[in-house]
Amino acid sequence: MRREFGLFDTLLGWFIHALLLVLVIVTLYPLFYVAFASFSDAGRLVAHRGFLYAPLGFSLEAYAGVFKNPGILTGYRNTLFILVFGVAVNLIVTALGAYVLSRKNVLWNNFFMIVIVLTMFFSGGLIPLYLIVKGVGLIDSLWSTIIPFAVNTFNLIIMRTAFQAVPDSLEESAKIDGANHWTILMRIIVPLSMPVIAVMILYYAVEKWNGWFYAAIFIKDHKLYPLQLILREILISNSTESMATDASNADRFQIGETIKYATIMVATVPILCVYPFVQKYFVKGVMVGALKG
Amino acid sequence: MAKTASPAAASAGVRTRRQGGFGLRFVRDFALNKYLYLMMLPVVLYYAVFHYAPMYGALIAFKDYTPIKGIIGSDWVGLANFKDFFSSYYFWRILKNTVLISFYTLLFGFPAPIVLALLLNEVRSRYFKSFAQTVSYIPHFISLVVICGMIVSFTNNDGVINNLLTHFGYDGQAMLQKPGLFRPIYVLSEIWQKIGWESIIYIAALTGIDQEQYEAARMDGASRLKQMWYITLPGIMPTIAIMFILRMGNLLNIGFEKIILLYNSVTYETADVIASFVYRKGLLEFGWSYSSAVGLFNSVVNLLLLIAANRLTRKLSSSSLW
Amino acid sequence: MRKKLIPVLAAALALSGLTAACSSGGKSEQPSAGGSKDAPAAAAGTTSAAVTYPLKTDKTLTYWAELTGNLTGVKGSLEEVPFFQEWQKQTGVPLKFTTIPATKGKEQLTVMLATGDLPDLIEFDWAKGFPGGPEKAIKDGYILKLNDLLAKNAPNLMKYLKEHPEVDKMVKTDNGSYYVFPFIRGDDYLKVFQGPIIRKDWLDELGLPVPETIDDWYTALKAFKEKKGATAAISFVGQPRPLNDFTNGAFAGAFGVTKDFYLDNGTIKFGPMEPGYKDFLATFRKWYAEGLLDKNIATVDTKAMDANFANNATGATVGNAGGGIGRWQPIVQGKDPKAVLIGAPYPVLKKGDIAPFGQKDFAYSTAGAVAISAKSKNAELAVKMLDYGYTEAGHMLFNFGKEGVSYKMDNGYPRYTDLLMKNPDKLAPSQAMGLYIRGNYNGPFVQDKRYIEQYLALQTQRDAVATWQKTDVDKHQLPPITPTPEESTEFAKIMNDVNTLVDEMTLKIILGAESLDSFDAYVNKMKSLKIARALEIEKAALDRYNKR
Repeated sequence: MRREFGLFDTLLGWFIHALLLVLVIVTLYPLFYVAFASFSDAGRLVAHRGFLYAPLGFSLEAYAGVFKNPGILTGYRNTLFILVFGVAVNLIVTALGAYVLSRKNVLWNNFFMIVIVLTMFFSGGLIPLYLIVKGVGLIDSLWSTIIPFAVNTFNLIIMRTAFQAVPDSLEESAKIDGANHWTILMRIIVPLSMPVIAVMILYYAVEKWNGWFYAAIFIKDHKLYPLQLILREILISNSTESMATDASNADRFQIGETIKYATIMVATVPILCVYPFVQKYFVKGVMVGALKG
Repeated sequence: MAKTASPAAASAGVRTRRQGGFGLRFVRDFALNKYLYLMMLPVVLYYAVFHYAPMYGALIAFKDYTPIKGIIGSDWVGLANFKDFFSSYYFWRILKNTVLISFYTLLFGFPAPIVLALLLNEVRSRYFKSFAQTVSYIPHFISLVVICGMIVSFTNNDGVINNLLTHFGYDGQAMLQKPGLFRPIYVLSEIWQKIGWESIIYIAALTGIDQEQYEAARMDGASRLKQMWYITLPGIMPTIAIMFILRMGNLLNIGFEKIILLYNSVTYETADVIASFVYRKGLLEFGWSYSSAVGLFNSVVNLLLLIAANRLTRKLSSSSLW
Repeated sequence: MRKKLIPVLAAALALSGLTAACSSGGKSEQPSAGGSKDAPAAAAGTTSAAVTYPLKTDKTLTYWAELTGNLTGVKGSLEEVPFFQEWQKQTGVPLKFTTIPATKGKEQLTVMLATGDLPDLIEFDWAKGFPGGPEKAIKDGYILKLNDLLAKNAPNLMKYLKEHPEVDKMVKTDNGSYYVFPFIRGDDYLKVFQGPIIRKDWLDELGLPVPETIDDWYTALKAFKEKKGATAAISFVGQPRPLNDFTNGAFAGAFGVTKDFYLDNGTIKFGPMEPGYKDFLATFRKWYAEGLLDKNIATVDTKAMDANFANNATGATVGNAGGGIGRWQPIVQGKDPKAVLIGAPYPVLKKGDIAPFGQKDFAYSTAGAVAISAKSKNAELAVKMLDYGYTEAGHMLFNFGKEGVSYKMDNGYPRYTDLLMKNPDKLAPSQAMGLYIRGNYNGPFVQDKRYIEQYLALQTQRDAVATWQKTDVDKHQLPPITPTPEESTEFAKIMNDVNTLVDEMTLKIILGAESLDSFDAYVNKMKSLKIARALEIEKAALDRYNKR
């Protein structure tokens, strides 16, 4: 298949590869650093300065420290709940909105668009939101992290842009075949926009996974804490701050340093695994194939 | 591919039908689109309940808020909070720093992920490509505290970067103690952390480009650079335009966490921004009203920028929000 | 995107968690002020009917409090904590708790006040954490003015306050209102916990005495650098503010100033605008230029300090007995078994002088004070219940826990058991203590010296506290004065700008980025920022305090 490219193109290819390789090394380092630090011997890590090429010694103490917290399991469970139902709600509502807003000849669309965009700039702050969430009875429920955040305006706009890019001709022919809006959305728009929908899944999933601020405000029952809140607890309880006047805790604070990194591993690695699934949809020519098929 | 122009055209279309009168247009539109409005209902409800209903809270920017009186019941103070902010001794400095840091981050940080997506697009090996993609977005997930910890230790007087630079005649002082270096360090580390994550949306957009265009171009003997310039880049232009508009609408929102993790009082003159200033103020007093006034100021500027960006992209690339 | 639009302040509060997580937060305690020597204000209250515990009641009180940081990850809520169970048992009053995660108190309080559902009892830092201060909290109708209730139903607290008029003065507002059941440090030994720290083994090896004067320090640090290879012979945690701990007057005190307000023969002064501060800056500027002071001084956080000590790069700093010596001693020992960190006296200029300043906390440490909400229907019961902490039995419960469980009497000395000191579940002492007592943090009681005696494990720590106590701080420290609610905003506004300027000036001059002479220009800038007005507000507040 490969045609003969000019010498310039070959050189360019090499250059691009080299550049990306550098980028890979530079961006991989933080993860390595965190991983190495999390497996390191606590005392040696505290003494260490600068680069880490490998764990300093080897110790699983930090992970033991993280997982001995009884909240970890319920934390994972709650986060999984929030993730699954949250992303589902996000996708459905966002897709519906994006679909409508991507239609032409809808009288109110421009108005809607402005109304929606304004919310990115003006908000009432925490307290009125709390009162509303309380009013609809979501306080102390996992749904309080889902329903009040059903749509991310930023994502809605991106999805709308993607939906707008689907050729009109396809819809027109579907309409002639008698398809209604629901059918057009599900059978034409969504399959053709899979790469962007995959990105949306990723964005929303990461948002749900990492979210803790509102959970800390809306959820008081310790059993309903999502993972990130539990991890913050572990961090704070092992932080030097809470031990400031503590004399006999030298070992504990040293472990605190490695625990910091272990919690990051525990909090990060699972969500990193989502990407390869998402990446599957980033295959060139999906659209062309769909058109022809 | 790039057929995003339509909303503007559509609204123009609506305008030409104006002779029917608003009521008539409304009825006609509703009859035509009632199912669409039904589909829109959850979104409208969501925005009404969780965004617009609480929005009265923004009033506290004009009030002296005390919790027991509530937002509505607190005393009006008019523009006093804004005056406080504008007349602050440091107002011009933090405004200048905010604008400059925002500007540099936009100038270098916005194109970076696009370039990355374009480069990745040129990689033939599927494995290397997906590997590079997966790796490049990892720093986004590492907490800011750790990232900033790394930056501090790399730029210390005995840090890696410093050791490297002393070979080129740098004086070896801790780099974060030099006001002139704060912005470059901030912007570069920003790119380092965000480049992969922000490129994902462009990578997704790249998949929509018709492969036959490349075939045709290759037949004509177009070089890779030319293909990139004439096919790839226009192919993702609508996405770039929308991202640019959204970015402009977020321009002045510099996260205060990173600033306060990296700055110190020697670098205040280049590093202190609105958000970090308000943060320090918040440590001393409980200024809900004040910080909300500052937030409102920020938002208004951002909104104006977004509107300007929207106009600009509509002219240049025919993509826009409305 | 939306997250960024929360008013910055909300995020600012959340950041208390962030700094905790990055362990770079300031560990310094608030500056201090000793008891004032003025005539004791008569403690309110006549003798009242004796109360016997446990009380008999069929009512349940609601109790809102933050969980101590020591227990995060150990227990999820207060009702699970043995101390709180025992407290309910001994007072006979059932409590229903709302547990707030550590460091989230201020944020949650605001939300709670806004929604209006107030519990009976609210444990919070009412003096410093509530905007406008306690008098405003009473005026706005959140919490009760307790004067009458205390007089009738809290004989034990009133007795303590009557015997300690200097404490009584602190726990009242300018208007003479009582508003909380306070946490009181019962002994001077509990109030001093910070000061200069130095490597004794290095001094011995180099044949140097423990430094007393600034010149001694210079000699010692120079020797550390040249003979011991200490690249950052002296270093200080510079986060969140540069030279944090100097607000107490370490080193700067030798030149007669602190980095904050202080009293000089009865007049209030602001250290950074006094000539002494210029001399202090000149000294540190010289130390920095000669490589004695850490080259990374602006970015040093606790983590960097750990590494400094671990690598023998640093031989001196300012730190706490617990979180400083207790923390670094094992680290330096790990590298060098002979290493010993000791507390050194606050430096002076002339040998034999007594340092005018030093860290010293107030007897009334404002955190962990319990107020009764204005909406409470059971205020009288609540007062009786809270007064228990100041009884003999309550004193033992709060400081030592339950006899036979968390302590045993040993010749009349309550000694903590291994349940606390060598916990079978591998909990650190501070965590185990958090379960059974409140002596190691705060609450409505009087803290006992015998807690810290057992808690400071090393002899060097106990000696350090004794060394650091030898200052004239009582003469120079401002008492815990409060601006009026009206003035407090103005004061905060001025001081925010002034502190920014002071921090900038301090570091820039020390690092040599600006000349020493620019000090005078900075002082002029401070004047244009209305520092005079801030001093005026402070003076008025001091006058009101003295009249309490």
